[in-house]
Amino acid sequence: MTPEPIISARGVTRRFGGLVALDGVDLDVPPGIVQAIIGPNGSGKTTLLNALSGASHADAGSIRVGGQEIFRLKPHRIARLGLARTFQNIRIFDNLSVIENVKVAAACNSPTSLFNILTANVRHKLSESDIDRNAREALDIVGLVRRAEDRATQLPYAQQRLLEIARALASKPKVLLLDEPAAGMNMTESMTLLDTIAKLKSSGITILLVEHNVRLVMGISDRVTVLDFGKKIAEGTPSEVQRNPQVIEAYLGRRHRHA
Amino acid sequence: MKIWPILAACGAVALAVPAIAQDGYIIQLLNIAILNAIVVIGLNFVTGWTGQINFGQAAFYGLGAYTTAIATKAGLPWITTPFLSALVVMAASLMLGLPTMRLRTYYLAMTTIGFGEIIRLIIVHWEPVTGGTSGLRAIPGISIFGFGPQGQVQHYYLLIAILALAILIAARIRHSTLGRAMIATKDSEIAAEQSGVDTVRTKLLAFMIGAVYAGLAGCLYASSIRFISPDSFSSIQAILLMTMLIVGGMGSIFGCVIGALALTILPEALRFLGQWYLVLYGLGVIGVIVLAPGGLASLASLLPLRRASVN
Repeated sequence: MTPEPIISARGVTRRFGGLVALDGVDLDVPPGIVQAIIGPNGSGKTTLLNALSGASHADAGSIRVGGQEIFRLKPHRIARLGLARTFQNIRIFDNLSVIENVKVAAACNSPTSLFNILTANVRHKLSESDIDRNAREALDIVGLVRRAEDRATQLPYAQQRLLEIARALASKPKVLLLDEPAAGMNMTESMTLLDTIAKLKSSGITILLVEHNVRLVMGISDRVTVLDFGKKIAEGTPSEVQRNPQVIEAYLGRRHRHA
Repeated sequence: MKIWPILAACGAVALAVPAIAQDGYIIQLLNIAILNAIVVIGLNFVTGWTGQINFGQAAFYGLGAYTTAIATKAGLPWITTPFLSALVVMAASLMLGLPTMRLRTYYLAMTTIGFGEIIRLIIVHWEPVTGGTSGLRAIPGISIFGFGPQGQVQHYYLLIAILALAILIAARIRHSTLGRAMIATKDSEIAAEQSGVDTVRTKLLAFMIGAVYAGLAGCLYASSIRFISPDSFSSIQAILLMTMLIVGGMGSIFGCVIGALALTILPEALRFLGQWYLVLYGLGVIGVIVLAPGGLASLASLLPLRRASVN
């Protein structure tokens, strides 16, 4: 018996004016696996991720995370339900230190009030020490603990990407969406990233990643979903997908058929 | 923490000032500068940290001042006025903030300009209560069960103590979940949301806290200067408060104090230049913005003793 999917999307549709960026996409992600979404430029990968995370809502469809309907919910509500993400174009908080960046998300599960902050009471101190511990744990996973007190903008590019992952982890998500996590990374940095992703998977987090670099994806993914022109054209294990003629055509174009 | 010696030095200078400057006029000017500093620290929550442009801060300042003046002149004991002023500005900022905080930066700027004008028009035209353009005089002073500061020097010490408290509270909020959420909202609203931050609530809280700072400063203004008029809380004042924040250094509490001190005292110090003072004043402001875009506070980072801390 297959387990209940942790993400279950039905008929997700997103239009930008006359352009149909997502056309009734169905997506099931079983818990505890690494699933990749691949596809050529403009196939709707990031649009799908934005629809799942609430960053840019879908026009129609149903999206369930852990059985709960999240369609058109505000992004912070979705985040609190256990779905965290990173961004294709890095969006770290420039005016905060490395650890503070992570603490923003770590506070997700430690609600506090202005009263607690102003009186600095026991509850406030407990919540701050919880947040600090969670943030340091998350930084440790990506290997950035030593840079904790630095300003986030002082980190080199690849480490800023890792910081985004740490920030996403700090909210203790069930599902982690990674949008082109290896973009702009060199070979060594990509390898470290793959190790980190494997580590996250073994800790039980479901990972859904969008990636442009197909070779990178094939090695770590348990399942691959292929999008083209806003439609799902294939799904399966990496080797199944690689043999799929439709996928080959989408990537290589008609030339391949004529050749 | 190397910041403590600097704070101690600032405190010592602040306490020694009345001994050096015997002139009542200078102390009065400093008192206004301190009140402005509190208002600018309030503005920093909204604009410096949360990144929302707010031109309504002078109106909240005025709302607090007029609430206090009207209440004490009607015979209410002074002790009630900080609470009354805070309640009035909280209600006003909530009504203004609820519909606008869902919108982006520029809409709040427009809305708060409109709000400032509404408050000014009410003050000018509701003459029987507000005294119209001639303002309100002989406002009862600060008095808690019969005790209160006498003379400008005592007021100065009281206001310095309240400024210290305002700084302490702002610093505490900055290093809490709320403060981090504010700065995250400014830096990337979408990343903040996806990290679980309710950005609408965060913006609204920052706006309301800022309004309460202004309202309480207004309360103290009315009962320590004891004369108020619409000019002190006009839209020109709103722009001046924003300039203090920018010149001092957005996002820095220290910068707010420096900016408020500099831009309150400078126009008076340059008065001997007559008409020319505006030219010099304008050039000075432009000079700071061009040479130190981070404000006067950012110059402190040039000192070797500062650790690599943020804000």
